[in-house]
Amino acid sequence: MAVSTPILGIAVLIYMMVVIYIGWIGYKQTKSTEDFMLAGRKVNPLVLALSYGAAFISTSAIVGFGGYAGAFGMGVLWLVFMNIFVGIFIAFVVFGARTRRLGVNLKAVTFPELIGRRFQSRFIQGFAGALITIFMPLYAGSVLIGGARFMETALNMDYNSAVLILAVIVAAYVITGGLIAVMYTDALQGALMFVGMAILFFLTYAKLGGVVEAHQALTNMAHMVPENLAAVGHTGWTSMPVFGSPTWWTLVSTIVLGVGIGVLAQPQLAVRFMTVKDTRSLNRAVLSGGPFIFMMAGVAYVVGALSNVYFLETRGMISLEAAGGNIDAIIPAYINSAMPDYFVIFFLLTLLAAAMSTLSSQFHTMGTAIGHDFYREFLMKGKLGHTISITKIGIAVTIVISVILAYILPFSIIARATAIFFGLCAAAFLPMYTGALFWKRMNKQGAIASLLVGTFTSLFWLTFVHAKEASALGISRALFGVDTILTGTWSVVDPILIATPLAFITAVVVSLATQPDPEDHVDKCFSSLNKSDRPA
Amino acid sequence: MLGIDDPQIWIAYLLCFLSAIGCIIYGMIHWNDGKENEEAC
Repeated sequence: MAVSTPILGIAVLIYMMVVIYIGWIGYKQTKSTEDFMLAGRKVNPLVLALSYGAAFISTSAIVGFGGYAGAFGMGVLWLVFMNIFVGIFIAFVVFGARTRRLGVNLKAVTFPELIGRRFQSRFIQGFAGALITIFMPLYAGSVLIGGARFMETALNMDYNSAVLILAVIVAAYVITGGLIAVMYTDALQGALMFVGMAILFFLTYAKLGGVVEAHQALTNMAHMVPENLAAVGHTGWTSMPVFGSPTWWTLVSTIVLGVGIGVLAQPQLAVRFMTVKDTRSLNRAVLSGGPFIFMMAGVAYVVGALSNVYFLETRGMISLEAAGGNIDAIIPAYINSAMPDYFVIFFLLTLLAAAMSTLSSQFHTMGTAIGHDFYREFLMKGKLGHTISITKIGIAVTIVISVILAYILPFSIIARATAIFFGLCAAAFLPMYTGALFWKRMNKQGAIASLLVGTFTSLFWLTFVHAKEASALGISRALFGVDTILTGTWSVVDPILIATPLAFITAVVVSLATQPDPEDHVDKCFSSLNKSDRPA
Repeated sequence: MLGIDDPQIWIAYLLCFLSAIGCIIYGMIHWNDGKENEEAC
C-alpha cells in the first residue's frame, strides 16, 4: 500500500458514519409497506439515476471488467455503449415509463409482483421470487468478496472479519430503512464514485501525454500480445479479437450481449422505475444516468486498457505481467503505482461505495422476494400476515447465505457469478417482462412457459455446455465423464444467446396457441399506459 | 482515428461519448414532459 493505513482508516470511518446517518434518516421516514418496498413512490430523479447506476455498477464491474480491458483491450467499450444505450436510454424511456405505469395500475411493489399481477399468476410471482432467492446470493456473495478483499488489503485487516463488518453495516441500514435508505445511500455512494472515476479519467490521459498520443502508444503495442492470448484470438489492445475466436465469443456473447441486454431484466434495477411519481422523473433521470454510466464503465475500461502504456513506459512490460498474471489485480496495481497518494485513498473509498451500493440493492431485492413474493403472495395467498417482519428476516437470511458463500465458494465460481445471474435473469424474465409491457395478447400460459423454458434452458446450458461454468461446476463430468456435452464453438457460446431467443419464441407460440387473458384485466393493466409516454 | 486503427474500436469509443451526450440532450428536451398530478396516480 502506498498510503498510510491510519489516514485511510479515518476516511473509511467518516464515510461509514455518513452512510449510517443516511440509513437512519431512511429508517425515520419509513412508515408504510410501500415506503419500505418502494421508497413511497416519490424518489427524486437524480437520486433515481445515481441509485440505479450505483446499484448497477459494482466493484467487479470496475475492477473485474477494467482488468479485462487491461488484458484484452478496448473491444469491451461496446459494453459501455450497450450499458448507456440499452441500460439507461432503452431501460428508462422504453421500459421504465411503462413499468412505472403498470406498477401503479396493478398496485405492485416488487418486480415479481408486477409480472405476477399482469398475468394473474401467483405461480409466476412465487417462482420468480424463489429464483431470485436462490441465485442472487451467488451474485451478492461475489460483490461481498470484492468489497471485503479491498478492506483486507487497504486496511490490513482479516478477510473474514471484513466480510462480517461489511455485511453487518449494509444489513443494518437495509433492514431498518428499507428502500428509502438503500436509494439515498446509493446516491451518496454514486456521487462519490462519479468524482473518483472522473479524476482517474483525466489523470490517466494527462499522465500518458493526451488522448491521441495515449491511444497511439497502445496501438503500437500490438506486437506485445502474449502468444497464449494471441492463440485464442487476441490481436492487440485497440483492435477487436479475431472473428469467431474463443476470445471474440466471450467478448461478444457473454460480455457485450449478456451483460448489455441482461441489465433490462434485473429485478433490483427494474423495481426502481416504480419508485418515482411520474414519467417526467424518468426523463430527467436519463440526463444524469447516461453520463454516470459513461464515467463508471467507460473510464474503467479505457483506463484498464491504457494501463498497458503506463506499465510499458515505467517497467517495460504489459499490464497483465505487471499484475502477476491476475486480471483482477491490474486496476489496483495501476492505481497504486500511477496515481498520487491522496487519490489512492479516494479511489479505495470509491470501490467500497461501489460494493456497498450494489450489495444493499441486492439484499433489499432478496428480502422482498422472500417476504413479499414468496411468503405473502405465494404461501399466504395475498394475506398480509407478517410480511414486513418476514421480509426483514428474509434479508437477514439471504445476507447470512451470501456471507457463507463468500467464505466457502472457490474464486473461480464467484468470479463468474455476475455473468451467470445477468444471463439467467435475461432468459427467465426478459421475454415475459417485455410481453407484459408491450404485447396485450401475451397471456398467462405464454408467460409461465417462457419463464420455465428460459430458466431451465439457461441452467442446462450453464451446467452441461458452456465450458467456463460447466467445467467449474463439474456436474457434467460426474454424470457423463466429459466437461461439456457439446464441443467446439458451442462450448463458448453464452447461455443468453440460446435460452433468451428460445424463451421469446416459447412466449409467442404458447400465447397464440391458447386463449387470451380476460379483456377487462388486460384493459386495466394497459390503462393510460400509452398516455404516460406522451408529453404532457 | 484518435490513434486507434480498427474502426470497430474507434466507432465504439465515439458511440460511448455520443450515447452519453444523447442522454443529456434527451433529458434536457424532455425535462418537463410526462408530468402527472397525484390524483392520476
